[in-house]
Amino acid sequence: MYTKFFKTVAATSMAASLLLAGCSSDSGSSKEANTKEKKEDPNEKVTLTFWDENAGPQRTPIWEELIKRFEEKNPNIDVEYVGLPKDSAKAKYDASIAAEDTPDVGSVQTSWLPEFALREALLPLDSYFDKWDEKGKINKGAVAFNKEIVVDHKLYGVPYTQNLDILWVRPDWFKEKGTKIPETWDEFFTAAQQQTDKANNRYGYTIRGGAGGSFQLQRLMYAYSGEKDYIKDGKSTINNKKHVEFLKKYFALYKQNTPQSDITNGYKEMIAGFDTGAVAMVQHNIGSFGEHKEALQPDQFQAIPLPKTADGKYVAEGGNTIGISVFKTTKHPDAAWKLAAFLNSKESQSYWNQQVGQIPTNSDVLSESWVKDSPHIQTAFKVYDDKETILYEPPFYLPEYRSILDTVVDPGTQAVMSGKMTVEEFLNEWAKAIEDAQKKYDEHFKK
Amino acid sequence: MIKTKKRVDRLLTFNLPLLVMLIFTLFPLYWTINTAFKHEGDIIKRPLGYVPASPTIDNFVTAWTNVGFSTYFKNSLLVGVCTVFIVLILSTLSGYALSRYKFKGKRAFLLMLLCTQFIPRSMLIIPLFIIFKFLGLISNPLSLIITYAAVEIPFTTVLMNGFISNVPRELEEAAMVDGCNKLQAIRYVIFPLLVPGIVATSVFTFIYTWNEFLIALMLTNQQGKFTLPVGLSYMMGEFNINYGALAAGSVIALIPAVILFAYAQKHLVNGMGGAVKG
Amino acid sequence: MNLRQELEVPAVSTEKKKPLKKFKIDKWIPYLFILPSTLMIVTFLFYPIGTVFYYSLQHYDISAPFYNAFAGLDNFKKIFTEDKLFFPSLLTTLKWVVSEVGLQLIFGLTAALLLNQKFKFRGMVRSAAFIPWAISGVLASVMWSLMFNEHMGVINDLFMRLGIISESKAWLAGSTSAFISVVIAELWRGIPFFAITLLASLQSIPEELYEAAKVDGANRVKTFLYVTLPSLKNTIVLTTLLRVIWEFNNVDLLFNLTGGGPAHSTTTLTMYIAEQAVHGSNFGYGSALTVVVFAILLVFAIIYLRITRYDREGN
Repeated sequence: MYTKFFKTVAATSMAASLLLAGCSSDSGSSKEANTKEKKEDPNEKVTLTFWDENAGPQRTPIWEELIKRFEEKNPNIDVEYVGLPKDSAKAKYDASIAAEDTPDVGSVQTSWLPEFALREALLPLDSYFDKWDEKGKINKGAVAFNKEIVVDHKLYGVPYTQNLDILWVRPDWFKEKGTKIPETWDEFFTAAQQQTDKANNRYGYTIRGGAGGSFQLQRLMYAYSGEKDYIKDGKSTINNKKHVEFLKKYFALYKQNTPQSDITNGYKEMIAGFDTGAVAMVQHNIGSFGEHKEALQPDQFQAIPLPKTADGKYVAEGGNTIGISVFKTTKHPDAAWKLAAFLNSKESQSYWNQQVGQIPTNSDVLSESWVKDSPHIQTAFKVYDDKETILYEPPFYLPEYRSILDTVVDPGTQAVMSGKMTVEEFLNEWAKAIEDAQKKYDEHFKK
Repeated sequence: MIKTKKRVDRLLTFNLPLLVMLIFTLFPLYWTINTAFKHEGDIIKRPLGYVPASPTIDNFVTAWTNVGFSTYFKNSLLVGVCTVFIVLILSTLSGYALSRYKFKGKRAFLLMLLCTQFIPRSMLIIPLFIIFKFLGLISNPLSLIITYAAVEIPFTTVLMNGFISNVPRELEEAAMVDGCNKLQAIRYVIFPLLVPGIVATSVFTFIYTWNEFLIALMLTNQQGKFTLPVGLSYMMGEFNINYGALAAGSVIALIPAVILFAYAQKHLVNGMGGAVKG
Repeated sequence: MNLRQELEVPAVSTEKKKPLKKFKIDKWIPYLFILPSTLMIVTFLFYPIGTVFYYSLQHYDISAPFYNAFAGLDNFKKIFTEDKLFFPSLLTTLKWVVSEVGLQLIFGLTAALLLNQKFKFRGMVRSAAFIPWAISGVLASVMWSLMFNEHMGVINDLFMRLGIISESKAWLAGSTSAFISVVIAELWRGIPFFAITLLASLQSIPEELYEAAKVDGANRVKTFLYVTLPSLKNTIVLTTLLRVIWEFNNVDLLFNLTGGGPAHSTTTLTMYIAEQAVHGSNFGYGSALTVVVFAILLVFAIIYLRITRYDREGN
């Protein structure tokens, strides 16, 4: 009796797949035509769509103000702001690229660039950028990095803000105990111990064991080892000895010197631990400044660099920036670039980064007084300006890179923390996933 | 003696369980309201305040104005009401067919309805986007209304089937004898008797549309067209957590639902009985 | 009720229009009536569902279109032979569905029995008891994550004041306690659904049945077993089936409260699909998993309806 029904289902899905195949190839060819459009009339009335990848009560008003300023300067261009909630932003971009319905301009995290470029979603900005009079002002390292990570080494995003992972600590607690704020890893582990006072509900440190923890964990591991290469001759450095050694010490902190809930901590739980006065140190980036300011007194929180390696060097992950990208489907590339350039101008970058509390990439802004008066930004400069600082590059170009962190590393971290897996097993699994992805990539592109 | 025993009995089998149930149900709600009236700093301060120390409505103002909440609220209402309208008409028709006729393919139709519920919604997003892009309906409330209706119809059809089965056939036949055609009979005889069922179906549908997040986010590319759940999600991201405003937003989002319940409570209960008795 | 009577009046007095040649049309009427719904579902749900079936036979990675290729049954082979997470997450799903639906049914029935009695402010109490049903999964998870929090959560605070625990507990940290915590949170949201439907059904049980039981000298337990429960059978069958399907695919609270952790111990099959298809952007594999879910639920629904004899022409 159900056979008829199944036949219908089968037939429909066949038809559907044919339709889909037809659809996508069709719109693909029309896309080509779009990008090769004739010269734009500079005074033509134009509407651009701009996507913000981390919208919310804090950042949305900043973008709206910048857009207002831009529209005043360019009365013929209207900009429509669309704010995406951070947790769904990547999925929304993914769907829009798959359906070829992208915005004109968007805020795009640097780690997404290689993937978006491979999917041919973005417009190369090199020719525009080269003609731009402020191009020399934008952090050269960051621009070079953006070109290096994409397959064709073109410029697909102009970074407008830079971030850095640091430790937020409670200087008042350290003063109270008369102990030193850590500068080396040994001091860090000692401090985590000394600051723990379970009777008074105080913990030395808190681990982000839940969603997003993998990205932070990786930065800590490399900060400890000072390893410069992520992949060497097809072998990943993830499971080298130093990393094993580090994670053993690091995860030993769990429950001894950290809250028990750390194992499923996401961002908000981790920050709540620090902001409620339950933990002395937390690793995040300078961007959470605003949240601590809201909850704590100025003398109760301070940003310090991640501890130096055994031979005294700071380490930072390359590509910790967010940039403005123009999407290939735009019908108004000139206007889109105008917006991208405006958002990267001295005034815009200054406004955005001052409000958010992150590092501008435009060198003209760096001399402004607010930058000098922000201790957490100065902390970041201490790391970035140090000539000795090691910059390592994660393989953002591997399509599986992000999903390995999400689906292998995050659960793996929890498995180690709950004693179901050893550190070695965990790192080997992680390394193997990266190596497999690299092999697949090599086979495909370097044949 | 017997009286006390009865009283103890009533206490143990009725008063106490009812009290436990109410506490379990209402405490989380109370806590949200409590949070909504606190200053941001007080929310995470220990010891916890079970009553806001210095109540403030700042959070409500922030939620309502800063993030464009009022627009999302209106959009949600529009989408909700239209979806309810479509769902009611279509599911009454198909529910009627199921309840009153024997026809070939009836089971296949029922099974088809069930099958649509087997697939996680997140898997349907991209093809849905492609359909609505093809129809030129991206960022148009219609795309949400159509999708929600399609998703809800299977369930509401089954519901309506139950309600209609409860209306005695004879009433309808009498109307037909009086010269009504089928549609008129439904319109003038069945429909009025279905009021409770209609209320129940409407509440089901409305609550679904009111809370749906993923499809609403994915099929909309214009800030001014987002619905309430998208607006709420803005307050939960990294760097953007604002518990007070989030709680206040939740309370605002709850108001229509609570009003709806208070109003529909009687019908809802009667209505559902009809539907599921079969 | 007024409305009903008012509307009934014109119904009976409606003018006759045209004499009908009923018989031939009648055969087509049911099809005509289900046509709009069918069209709607086929157009807007079958195409997306069809693509899921189509992609289950493909290597399709959204973030790496250059790897895309026809896969045949590779994805399915991988699910059943290589995938270390498939069976554990299927097991978690079963645990989740059974405990949720079972407990919701028990507590929902209890709530319905309580709310069916006569007492003061019954209307108010009833609507209060239904409110959680109107709260979205996202909101509910924010509320509960705030309450479960180890440092600022009210549950720890309350339990400590009451002397139930002596120090703050991390409710979402252990595999078992995390699972139980989320089950409770979801119960909070799910009980009202059963409470409403069962309450409605209770009200339609004829008073005479209870009186007859009384005459026969049946006690409360017996009355419940031989009068109440049988009358509720159809309601229970239908709501349970719907609930099983819903809870199977429901991920909001688990996702937001534990993220499927610690170490995948609370990952259900549907969450695993989301992890693969949305976060891992491995759409082909996610589709294959979805097809497996589809098959499981289909088989379940058919068997369930057979066993309970619900699909007998009772209507």
